[in-house]
Amino acid sequence: MSLQRKKSRVLQTTKKIGELIMVYFSNASDVKAQGKPVAWITVFTPVELLYALDIYPIAPEHFGAMCSARGFIMEYLEEAERSGYSQNLCSYSRCSLGYVLNGMNGLMPPPDLLVTFRNSCDVYVKWWQSLQMHLKAPLFLGETPYVLSSEDLDNYVLDYVVKQLEQLIELAEEKFGSRFDMDRFVDILKLSDKASELWLETLKLRSSKPCPLGGRDSASDIFPLVVMQGTEEAVKFYEELLGEVKEKVSKKIGVIDNERFRLLFDGIWLWHAFDLIKYFENGGAVFVYEPYSEAWAYRLDTSKPLESLAKKILTMGLNVDIDMRIERFLESIKTYHIDGAVLFSNRSCKTWSAPQLVTADILSEKFDTPYLIFEADMADPRQYSEAQIKNRVDAFLEVLGEH
Amino acid sequence: MKIPSSMRSLYKNPFTLLNRYKDTGVKVVGYTCSYVPEELIISAGLQPYRLPNIGANASALTPSFVCPFASATLENILRFESSFSGFVIAHTCDPMWRLYDILKTKISKPLFLLRVPHNTGNELSLDFFKMELKRFQKFLEKNCNGKIDHNALLNSIELCNESRTLLKNIYMLNSGSKYAVNASDLFSIVLAGMWMPKSEYNAKIKELNIGDDKISENVRLHLNGTAIYDIDLIKMIEDSGGFIASDDLCTGSRYFWSKVEKSDDPIHSLAYRYLKRIPCPSQGPLKERLEYVNYMIKEFKVQGVITLAGRFCDPILYDSVHLRNMLVKNGIPTMIIDYETPAQEIGRIKTRVEAFIESIGG
Repeated sequence: MSLQRKKSRVLQTTKKIGELIMVYFSNASDVKAQGKPVAWITVFTPVELLYALDIYPIAPEHFGAMCSARGFIMEYLEEAERSGYSQNLCSYSRCSLGYVLNGMNGLMPPPDLLVTFRNSCDVYVKWWQSLQMHLKAPLFLGETPYVLSSEDLDNYVLDYVVKQLEQLIELAEEKFGSRFDMDRFVDILKLSDKASELWLETLKLRSSKPCPLGGRDSASDIFPLVVMQGTEEAVKFYEELLGEVKEKVSKKIGVIDNERFRLLFDGIWLWHAFDLIKYFENGGAVFVYEPYSEAWAYRLDTSKPLESLAKKILTMGLNVDIDMRIERFLESIKTYHIDGAVLFSNRSCKTWSAPQLVTADILSEKFDTPYLIFEADMADPRQYSEAQIKNRVDAFLEVLGEH
Repeated sequence: MKIPSSMRSLYKNPFTLLNRYKDTGVKVVGYTCSYVPEELIISAGLQPYRLPNIGANASALTPSFVCPFASATLENILRFESSFSGFVIAHTCDPMWRLYDILKTKISKPLFLLRVPHNTGNELSLDFFKMELKRFQKFLEKNCNGKIDHNALLNSIELCNESRTLLKNIYMLNSGSKYAVNASDLFSIVLAGMWMPKSEYNAKIKELNIGDDKISENVRLHLNGTAIYDIDLIKMIEDSGGFIASDDLCTGSRYFWSKVEKSDDPIHSLAYRYLKRIPCPSQGPLKERLEYVNYMIKEFKVQGVITLAGRFCDPILYDSVHLRNMLVKNGIPTMIIDYETPAQEIGRIKTRVEAFIESIGG
């Protein structure tokens, strides 16, 4: 099928993300130069607490995504592979391990502390242990048990996580002389909550037709919510974004002019093949909902600071029972008027990909929603077969047209 | 060593035992890994049954790059669901965690996820795991019609401890430079214990005539890995001139190495034993695992270490880098064999193993 090229656009606010990211990383180097502690974290770590403890958080996952998007990830992947890390391991992890083995001459200053909470995947445990083996920095390995039901947010599971947050505070006080000030912590949580509120409100506006904010926007705009939660810069960014999106809705300006199909995207974005989103848009299809974009948004109860933060890291991303995840998935089909689903079977993210076929079948049974599953890797460009995948996208869009 | 054929060949088709349990009205609870305390299942009057990947291919329900072992285990659960009263999955690694997710949408039998803390060194983890074991106890009582009383639990702990002692005694016959028991025999015995009734099993182990230390020139090896149900793979290493003197497998020494302490608080003792045991690559401090391998190398006079790394097994693939670095530093020859389906790759693996053994001097 020859696809008629359609004009597609990204938001003006989205275009500011690049600069925000560079400032964020350059701040990390400044902090380090001032002798203050820097922590390497996994992306579902409670950064609000680290900011309150004057520890600057950097996420190697971000670094991996950025290296992949900007085309210089291979140097690090190959370095890790030369040292024995299998190509079948998470590409984000290979990137950061390669960066470490390569001498850390880049945007991420060496860490004074390694922090992870095992909420998104078990790879975090092995990855952070591996970093510790190379870096010899102290490791805080937090546990966030899989949330099986809402009862877990009010029982020994919650207690376990709250107490670990207290342990993290003690560790920071002991290692770095950090002083934990509850009032300051609550102020940070308020800012984090505000950013989530603004982002959630923005995401809701994607139910409008035409959709004002597409996949290229959401993939970038999520950045401040991941590592800048609790900062004024993040709130400012989301205020501006919401303002722009509201304006687009009132003027009925969508991502593309002639919106034919509204799609769900399940997975992490392909950072090295960002143009794939545009390829969909050229075919008249726009992404209106992704579980990924919601993963970091959480409304905090600032009257119960530690408890609320513990609930947040317990329920982030893929750490809630599959029934609850499927329910949310199905809800989105109605809320966002979705015509089809695209599921990215990501070789690097086994925890996300493993139950995808089951989820897709349920989606198809309940709503007769057509879906496309394709296999690639989020950051390793060697696992991406562009022509083959674009052919399948063409065929999928044809199916949607006939559906 | 003369092993009764009912034990020796059980690994080839352990599912035959399920018919016997059905005929005799024994309720069976399937479990996935050595972090699930069999003691609790036994004390509820139920038969624990370790779910293997034997006889199954990877399930079409999972992508090709997700652990073929977990995927084949999923296939077996779906095939034999009707023979079980319930299933327990231990959350140790991503594939096992998601196996629970998939099963939740596919089976009607009671299903339990035992959340095993990865940070076993943290004292908070012990308190948490005790609560998980209490939840597991309630699950067994409620869903599998088993009642657990204090004495029954103490008895089952004793029964399982007896198994562990018997197995460890046999295992230690290979310590120093001795060649008493072939690993292919030993591992088939260990596996049988995961499927047979424990008291019957203990009685049969006691009857075994182990025999004396043999004279051999085979190269003494340590085998590192996760779960190996394929004894043919072990035999192949032996046929290539290797003697597996020690191992770090959850179907090997890790299964029986440490015992549960006797106490008036059996749940505490169980939680302690299962958290502080020799860690699986997916759990616990990496340092402890490396120390264990070092200990085994010294105790069993090991000349080389083979790591069997499942192609998509994240925990073993990360660990294998650090283990190799440590061994190289200590001057111990080592090789990593990555495989997907051993039965289909045995020729390729054999060539590599033979070359490795030859390089050591076998």
